[in-house]
Amino acid sequence: MDIAPLLSVEGLSYAYPGGPPVLRNVSFSVRPGERVAVLGPNGAGKSTLLWCLVGVLRAEGRVVVAGTELTPRTESQVRSMIGLAFSDPDDQLFMPTIGRDLAFGPRAAGDPPEQAELKARFAARQVGLPEALFDRAPHEISSGERRRAALAAVLTLGPDLLALDEPTNSLDAPGCAGLAETLAGLPCAQLVATHDLDFARELCSRALVLVQGQLAADDEMEALLADAERLIAYGLAARSGKRSAR
Amino acid sequence: MMIGRLDLYVRQDNRLHRLDPRAKLAAVAGFLAGAMFAPVRPPWALLGLVALLGAATVVARVPLRIMARRLVAVGIVVGFPLALSRLGGEMTRLAGESLAAKSLLVAASFLVLAATSKPWELLEAVSRAPLLAGFAALAQFILRGVDILAAEVTRSNLAAALRAPRASMRVRLGGLIAVSISLLGRAAARSERQGAAMALRGFDGHFPPAPARALPVYDLLWGAAFGLASLTIGVAARWI
Amino acid sequence: MAVSAPGSDALRRARELSLAGLLGALGLLLPIGLHALGWGGKILLPMHLPLVVAAFVVGPATAASLGLIVPLLSAALTGMPPIAPPIALLMSLELAAKSGVISLLYRKLRLPMWLALPAGLVADWAVLALAAIATAGFFHISASPLKYVWAAVLLSWPGTMLQLVAAPLGVAAIERRLPRLAMERNPGRAPGDAARAAGEDREG
Repeated sequence: MDIAPLLSVEGLSYAYPGGPPVLRNVSFSVRPGERVAVLGPNGAGKSTLLWCLVGVLRAEGRVVVAGTELTPRTESQVRSMIGLAFSDPDDQLFMPTIGRDLAFGPRAAGDPPEQAELKARFAARQVGLPEALFDRAPHEISSGERRRAALAAVLTLGPDLLALDEPTNSLDAPGCAGLAETLAGLPCAQLVATHDLDFARELCSRALVLVQGQLAADDEMEALLADAERLIAYGLAARSGKRSAR
Repeated sequence: MMIGRLDLYVRQDNRLHRLDPRAKLAAVAGFLAGAMFAPVRPPWALLGLVALLGAATVVARVPLRIMARRLVAVGIVVGFPLALSRLGGEMTRLAGESLAAKSLLVAASFLVLAATSKPWELLEAVSRAPLLAGFAALAQFILRGVDILAAEVTRSNLAAALRAPRASMRVRLGGLIAVSISLLGRAAARSERQGAAMALRGFDGHFPPAPARALPVYDLLWGAAFGLASLTIGVAARWI
Repeated sequence: MAVSAPGSDALRRARELSLAGLLGALGLLLPIGLHALGWGGKILLPMHLPLVVAAFVVGPATAASLGLIVPLLSAALTGMPPIAPPIALLMSLELAAKSGVISLLYRKLRLPMWLALPAGLVADWAVLALAAIATAGFFHISASPLKYVWAAVLLSWPGTMLQLVAAPLGVAAIERRLPRLAMERNPGRAPGDAARAAGEDREG
């Protein structure tokens, strides 16, 4: 039985104002609960794709999330369904303390303070962030904790799809493994833009490969990683056999 | 928190630290008014204010060496006009003494406030006043910006120092200007992403109001008493 | 990664707040840095420079609010500028006037920078004079307020020159990174060079 896709992208194209196209006619879908990696070399359009999905960048084409097409009128509804975690958590933590940052989303949505606090605590537990950090300012915690806090801040909104932009940036090997374990335990679908193939293999069952803004491949993760020639052709590995990894 | 330390909070647990920020703001407002009114000569009004502030510092258990260190910068800045004023007539000398004494006194009162309250607690207290909510939100972003920029400046300076450890003052000045301009561009780019983060989490142009919290009567009484006492000293001395 | 493209009102407001916060933070940090180097704040006006730059890149209400808040915040956090005598208050009023006028002329009325900046300076001096007269009486300051203003203007001439020279550079640095600012100011104009220049900031 075919399950209706949670996310459906058709013919997505985008060029920055005055610049060349960064995304060209990209089409794919993501099913509920599925974890999909978006792979590609630097400049392939991975981050741009995620920004287009949440409507920050207005692209051509169609983006449909749980039956709702992304338009200027529906963008807040779509944004409540897709949670985007930035590559730099410092860009995402803008409140004076971690606790207030986590509660910001629910409060902005109209939740009373107690409800927002509950959601913040739950999200913190989901990502393994100690509640003792709630009263700390973002600059007072480690980069790994900031990354978990930024992830929790997005999870408080209960997104159906979690979009992650280079989540393993500045994480060491144990940190990456811990993050993969945390993300694997979340029920929502995930779209992970990364150049870390080992992390992608641990977390995702399927891979989309972007090359110069075009979708070059949409394949099972294991099948893709087993094909060294394809990895080299897509710029995911060097001729010497070394892959993009931590 | 930043180059040098802008974060003046001294971690302690005492009556003054636990006092509601609104009560502390009321106390400082009264102290400010008292200092404005107090004449420099005779000095008993200012001495009375110093005694009040000293008592608050003792209750707060803020180490005196920390207070003294933080007042040095203020002292240097007001010391110069004070010294200059000694060269003038009686009115000029009086103006110099007034500037120096009141600047130090008011700065000390704010330092005690900052040492006993976290900045965001004070901003949250201010944000409860309907007309001030917008200003408090902006101030919150400024304080967060201090953290972000201070980290970037520190990294940039470190990078510059490592690459040119024996640079001349002219080269350092050029580097400082280049870092400043680069910092502006990077700050601008970061602000775009931060703004997007807010919008993505449902920000609609208005911040959710701070949770309502009743002001404890005991705290209100203490704050009001301190403020009124300060104001009384200043006004009484002005009119006697 | 640059995401500078026109967006919804909420997104614009969010970005403006964030940018204002960072530039306001510079207004707090620059004076501290210069004082640490022993350079005169009253001469170079380090707090003014980031706020003047901010006036060119945010709306008038935000610019005026920044001008109002930053001196008071600095006084509360560092003791400088002094609150008593009310130098911080005078600075707040003059900066609010200068920033508000510059933003109004440049961003709303779309006048060129070489008109908006001098107009802002004139507004600054005018408000400073009025505020000095008003506060002198209230706080029983016997020195002549207009002499104070004249002395302040003369003493700060290097700072004024610095604003005239450095502010356009700062604004250019920001507009280069944020092509949407130029697009918001000139809605009918094609994105062109500014946007192309911003292309170097993009990552995949």
